[in-house]
Amino acid sequence: MKPTIAIREPVVDDLMDQTEKSLTEDQIEKVINEVIDQETGVRLQTYVNTCIHCGLCSEACHWFLSNDRDVSFAPVTKVKDTIWVMLEKKGKVDAAFIKRCSQIAHTECNVCRRCGMYCPFGIDIAYMMLVVRRICAKLEMVPLYLQDTVNSHAATMNQMWVKPDEWIDTLQWQEEEGQGYVPSARLPLEKEGAEIMYSVIGPEPKFLAQLLGNITVIMNVAGCDWTMPATAGWDNSNMAMYSGDFEVMARVERLHHETAQRLKVKKIVMGECGHAFRGGEYDGPTWLGWMSPPIPIVHAVAFYYDLLVSGRIKIAKKVEGPVTAQYPCNIIRNAGLGSKLRYIMNAVCEDFVDLVPNDRHAFCCNAGGDTINCGPPWKKIRVQSARLQSENFKRTGAHTIVTPCHNCHSGVEDIVDGYKLGMHVKFFSELLIEAMEIPEDLQA
Amino acid sequence: MINSESWDWECNKKMVADTSKWKDQFEDVWEPYISSDGEKIASIVKVGEGEFNIAVNKETWGEEPFEKIWYSRFSPDGRLTALITKEMEWTMAVDGKTWEEMYEYIWDTKFSANGKVIAATTKQDGVYAITVDEKTWECPVKLESIASHIISPDGKTAVAIAQTVATAEADVNAFTKGAWSVIVNGKPWNDNYVDVYGLVISADGKNIAAEYRNSICEYGILVNGTPWNEKFGCTWEPVFNPTNSDEISVPVRQEGQWFLATNGRIVWDKGFVNLMYQTYSPDGSNIAAGVAPSFAKWTIAVNGQPWSTTFNECILKPSFSPDGRKVVAIAKDSGNWFLVVDGTVLGEGCDNVWPPAFSPNGDKVIYKIEKNGKFAVAVNGEVKDKEYEALWNPVVSPDGTKVMICGVKGGKYYRKVVLLSDI
Amino acid sequence: MYEFVSGPLVWIAFIIFIGGSLYKIYHMLSGAKKDMTLFRHMSLGHSAASLIHWLIPFNNQSMRKRPIFTIVSFAFHICLIFTPIFLLGHLILLDESLNISWWSLPEGVADWMTIIVIAGCIFYLVRRLTDPVVQNVTDGSDYLLLAITALPFITGFIAYHQLFAYKTILILHILTGEIMLIAIPFTRLSHMLFFVFTRALFGSEQGYWKHSKDW
Repeated sequence: MKPTIAIREPVVDDLMDQTEKSLTEDQIEKVINEVIDQETGVRLQTYVNTCIHCGLCSEACHWFLSNDRDVSFAPVTKVKDTIWVMLEKKGKVDAAFIKRCSQIAHTECNVCRRCGMYCPFGIDIAYMMLVVRRICAKLEMVPLYLQDTVNSHAATMNQMWVKPDEWIDTLQWQEEEGQGYVPSARLPLEKEGAEIMYSVIGPEPKFLAQLLGNITVIMNVAGCDWTMPATAGWDNSNMAMYSGDFEVMARVERLHHETAQRLKVKKIVMGECGHAFRGGEYDGPTWLGWMSPPIPIVHAVAFYYDLLVSGRIKIAKKVEGPVTAQYPCNIIRNAGLGSKLRYIMNAVCEDFVDLVPNDRHAFCCNAGGDTINCGPPWKKIRVQSARLQSENFKRTGAHTIVTPCHNCHSGVEDIVDGYKLGMHVKFFSELLIEAMEIPEDLQA
Repeated sequence: MINSESWDWECNKKMVADTSKWKDQFEDVWEPYISSDGEKIASIVKVGEGEFNIAVNKETWGEEPFEKIWYSRFSPDGRLTALITKEMEWTMAVDGKTWEEMYEYIWDTKFSANGKVIAATTKQDGVYAITVDEKTWECPVKLESIASHIISPDGKTAVAIAQTVATAEADVNAFTKGAWSVIVNGKPWNDNYVDVYGLVISADGKNIAAEYRNSICEYGILVNGTPWNEKFGCTWEPVFNPTNSDEISVPVRQEGQWFLATNGRIVWDKGFVNLMYQTYSPDGSNIAAGVAPSFAKWTIAVNGQPWSTTFNECILKPSFSPDGRKVVAIAKDSGNWFLVVDGTVLGEGCDNVWPPAFSPNGDKVIYKIEKNGKFAVAVNGEVKDKEYEALWNPVVSPDGTKVMICGVKGGKYYRKVVLLSDI
Repeated sequence: MYEFVSGPLVWIAFIIFIGGSLYKIYHMLSGAKKDMTLFRHMSLGHSAASLIHWLIPFNNQSMRKRPIFTIVSFAFHICLIFTPIFLLGHLILLDESLNISWWSLPEGVADWMTIIVIAGCIFYLVRRLTDPVVQNVTDGSDYLLLAITALPFITGFIAYHQLFAYKTILILHILTGEIMLIAIPFTRLSHMLFFVFTRALFGSEQGYWKHSKDW
């Protein structure tokens, strides 16, 4: 089979460039065969032997569609250019090949699982891309900025090098911010036996602290019995899951779940993040041997849905004008929360304009699956390859795009900037704070 | 250990405080904590705008409120500690009296076994340290961060996992060279590591062990700064034999399975999907651990032999009866929590179960459970003392004849001591 | 020659096809047991739901997106499977040798079905040659598989219409048919066996585990 012609602008990624120089072919062969033999099995074999090379998966992929149907971005091409070669050559490949594998699997695929849904045989191409990532990670061929977040997870158990005191301090500060809306509001730290442990992702205390103030208001208005941990284990995000460092992934997830067990809560409610839900609900527990998390995890969308349906939060004034929403892959296509997202959007917006395609068929924001964490070197191609979704947003004519996921939020902001859409990008909680009713006895 | 012999073990029931009154007295009342002997109950209370105090039984902590108070915890010796702020600076307050030094930040209070020693992580001028009874570490290297710390049961040794090398943003190479180490009473171990986890001190306080990570899939165990020769695909936190501080057991991962290793050698021949929470019996002769013999089937293995009963959600850390003959664990199956003794499930499923106290011969396990939002004391699976709004773990008297039950009913906090035979 | 290909070789081909298929499925299932989560994430209901959505034309988004491909594929696969099974000529041979028989297709219909299979192969061939994505992942083996699939039908068509060299063509027809049978378990034609399992797994993972759908 002829090699694929892939034309890319050269990208300088210090770590990948450095690793390319230091990797030996023996190391590569050993790791590839080790991962294929010990960590994969009949699933990978069957996928590879069943694929009839029909190319129907390409129609599913926003990378392919946004890049004028450039063959090198098609899902099947990504498999051809990585796994097929590794299997055919039994691991005898060079460092440049591994670098290209990392580029394909880490920076040009969001493991969003849309292609699996368009393959007539249901071949899970995202799974194969994760196998490629695992091999790359074991060879330390990982984009620099992604590896840095993984290192942060490994050292601090959070994604953003947030130190323990900074975490607690931020919560105490945001409790005060919440008291600006509801003077009696409390953000209870380390309250054993609360019903809910609320967890967030590293960027919230680091860059988006106001979201912690928002949740303080929402929880207090809804009368929830909740707590947040003052120890590591508060961060539900997990970039190690995406880099391929599954041991660090497992340690982070274990701590997150054990923190909830230690606090004796009934459930974990998590902030608006998709990949964190995937890590907490699926990938992390599976590696640890749990069928599902021992303390159930509720994503913010499902939580807000419950609060709105039960009337614990009432809407005083709906958000005016057309508003649309991004459907985060990890909570919609891969967790089935689509109808709940539409419900809460309709509940708080006068004019919710749905995306086409929507729900599980909606396209990825192109920031998910770690690609945004690959950092500035890879941003240009990422935004360029989100053209399709930019057109979908534009068609809605909305003034605001709601993104109940942090990756989506940053990715959609890049889309809005890159394609000059002139739209606002907001988390659902930001809309809810504007629209919700604060009962008189709680008001400032 | 806490000397519980001096506690009031007369069989009686006393109403220590009417905590329901606090709600009228103060603007806000936080969740209560009690002293180990059950004689005191305390809650952080809001007395005004930006003014907090602590209510303890019928009193409050002094006249003057603090700007903020959090993390109120009783030391095992009965002193009440809390972290407080005054004029934007933080310190520890013990029974209402603050430490002299103020800090940029202070958190993670820890106590020695008898409660005489109080330690916490502090930050001052951007430098992190452990402060033990008001004395802050003087560390030869600047600690950039402290991930966690522990103190030995005798309180003489405080140990922390700390970042010893400053790393610039996204400086992967500096990180890979090792920027973290273990600091013992202010003195760092010789080497730095990529990551350090699972810090433990032996019961006699002589030895310190931790997990470390060299690179992806290369993990090992450090003992007093020296690594084991053996490397593993992954590890979980090590545990010392309580009677032999030269023996360390640790779950290790090899070729996708978890095994138990003691001093570097795999001692349980059977591998598991996961293996956690290895626990020695009091005499150090047996080990129980939470294991998953197959995916989503959890149980306890004692000396490598799993119980035949398995649970489909999870299992928590097991414990041995004082005589070491029985093993109990809390397990979750199909949404319900259970207490399990030697593989036998006690009673019906609950919304929550807490670790039990044992009668001396281990024939009775007495524990706190939660059902439908209320708490109760259960004995061997039978729900006995019900309808508590708040309840603490029952404590068996040193002579093993009585049990202390502390809880809140009808807004009032009661401490009662009853004969084990009567419950 | 005719005696050999229409006698022992038929037996050999069927034995290899059936035995090989059973072995391949057994091998896959026993390997699947080693994957600790695979069976735990499977559910019969969600497997069935997925299969129903993908075995009925236009019952999923992917097929709706590509109507021509969908029509060709369904027509091709239906004709590919049913023509040889219900062909009168085959049934007569079966009746003569084993004394078993069943309903047969009218000869004219079977003839058209054969043409559809051949046309389908041409469609796939053209697609392999012209669609850039498909072209990029096509190598000799793909053409070979296409040839293995097409030849029994082309030779069958020629033989039925006795266009030329009837005896030779008939031998070739039987031989290529046998090659195809033998090839099924050991080449990517095994998607005939495995698509049920891959589909069921993805359907289960999406439906049972992830509370979503895969169509």
